[in-house]
Amino acid sequence: MGEEQGGKKVDQFRGAREAYMDVWAKAMGEMVNTEAYAQQSGAVLDAYLTASQPFKASLEKAMVNALQQLSMPTRPDFISLAERLTNIEMRLDDSDTKLDRIEHAIQKLAIPASPQPAVPPAPAARAIPAPQTAPAPRVTPRVIPPAKKNARKGHK
Amino acid sequence: MAQEMIEANPFAAMQQKLQTMTKVMTTQAPIALTPKEVIWTLNKAKLYRYIPQVPKEQRHPVPLLLVFALMNRPYILDLRPGASFVEFMVKQGYDVYLLDWGAPGIEDKNLKFDDYTLEYMPRAIRKMKAVSGSEEFSLLGWCIGAILTSIYGSLRPDDGLRNLILLTAPLDFSQREQLTFARWTDERYFDIDKLLATFGNMPAEMIDYGAKALKPVENYVSNYLRLWDNIENPQVVESWQAMNTWVTDNIPLAGGVFRQLIVDLYRNDRLMKGELMIRGERVDLGKLRANLLAIIAENDHITPPCQTEPAVARIGSADKEIYRVPGGHIGIMAGSGASKRTWPHLNEWLAQRSK
Repeated sequence: MGEEQGGKKVDQFRGAREAYMDVWAKAMGEMVNTEAYAQQSGAVLDAYLTASQPFKASLEKAMVNALQQLSMPTRPDFISLAERLTNIEMRLDDSDTKLDRIEHAIQKLAIPASPQPAVPPAPAARAIPAPQTAPAPRVTPRVIPPAKKNARKGHK
Repeated sequence: MAQEMIEANPFAAMQQKLQTMTKVMTTQAPIALTPKEVIWTLNKAKLYRYIPQVPKEQRHPVPLLLVFALMNRPYILDLRPGASFVEFMVKQGYDVYLLDWGAPGIEDKNLKFDDYTLEYMPRAIRKMKAVSGSEEFSLLGWCIGAILTSIYGSLRPDDGLRNLILLTAPLDFSQREQLTFARWTDERYFDIDKLLATFGNMPAEMIDYGAKALKPVENYVSNYLRLWDNIENPQVVESWQAMNTWVTDNIPLAGGVFRQLIVDLYRNDRLMKGELMIRGERVDLGKLRANLLAIIAENDHITPPCQTEPAVARIGSADKEIYRVPGGHIGIMAGSGASKRTWPHLNEWLAQRSK
């Protein structure tokens, strides 16, 4: 009996709390969507930036000077290096694609040569299963087997 | 014995609840567990391929690439086992790829939509095509990912894009009175030059504050009360912790993109006006021809429906559909109802167009 009453009280409390939260949430939602809020938050941000920007800029300048005096690389040096690395990555990516295309072209060129050999293969050779996606290496020894392509896919 | 003590002493029960709550709030849930491999990288970006779980002959031949927003981690699409969109799609027989943009450093402050849509995306797509062996593909863009995929699809309509799925896509910025972000970033109040001169990139903490301040009571109070009320329900706690892990794992937005987002889109609505220029090319949504599914969250306070509907009308695709789902910006894909409504519809639509 006592537990039941306690449970009811908790439910009543939660109901009242939810109702209050809904009203509060609606009021706050409307408040943040006003011009006054936008203006006020903009002013607060502007004040913060005005105060912090000169300090941050002078600190960065002092740090660059200090590192240069010590013959150490600075942040701009690292940024420049990172940009160069990204450019190299892009060139590697392009080369990778070109290699893929060359590989496909070679495979396509090799296909017509394989299907009908003039002399039937020896029984022992017939027992070797042919690769599914590439022509038989016996006919065109320079063809890159598919396994090599798969190995390049997984660079991490 | 411990249970008896708790029953006898309500303060002990309270203390235990507090301890559990603190633990849940301060530890990370195991997330993004669907098996995957990295198949391509460029700068901070990575392209993942999820390991197929369906035999090849039963798989859809057209691969699916997921593109999420730039300022959040993409593992919201693969939150936790049993509540993962990626896991669901892999099990449905799709060859699923995910483009993770990574966290931009100060060296990336000049990255723009131009770079993401014409350098990163085409390269990632090229790799996906090579790995999947398919010249055609489907794209799913969510939030800012939807802006990126729309720009890409408009600029490169002949690149093999067969299906485009836009989730909560902010494309139309004309109805400013309905856009709280537009009000906050109005040029009268918000000095973007000063902000980017100070930080280079848009800091993650400011993005987080901006998103949460749209609904301050829900995000700062109700969210924790919900956890408190359900602290003895392991399912709710597990779900809450996974979502909290994602929500608190924010990343900055590259300065160049943030400037375009505010100046070109929020302030001047250049995409819908047909004035958005990407590397000298005008973005014309009319040129986008892929089959289109636009999913709108009816209670989305970040991207209200008015930001998507008019844009869909402008898009040139012959086959297009708008699907409205009750729910919020994230909830429609990662909430409890996602696996009952959004995912099955999306799968049904895409399966018919992936043959």
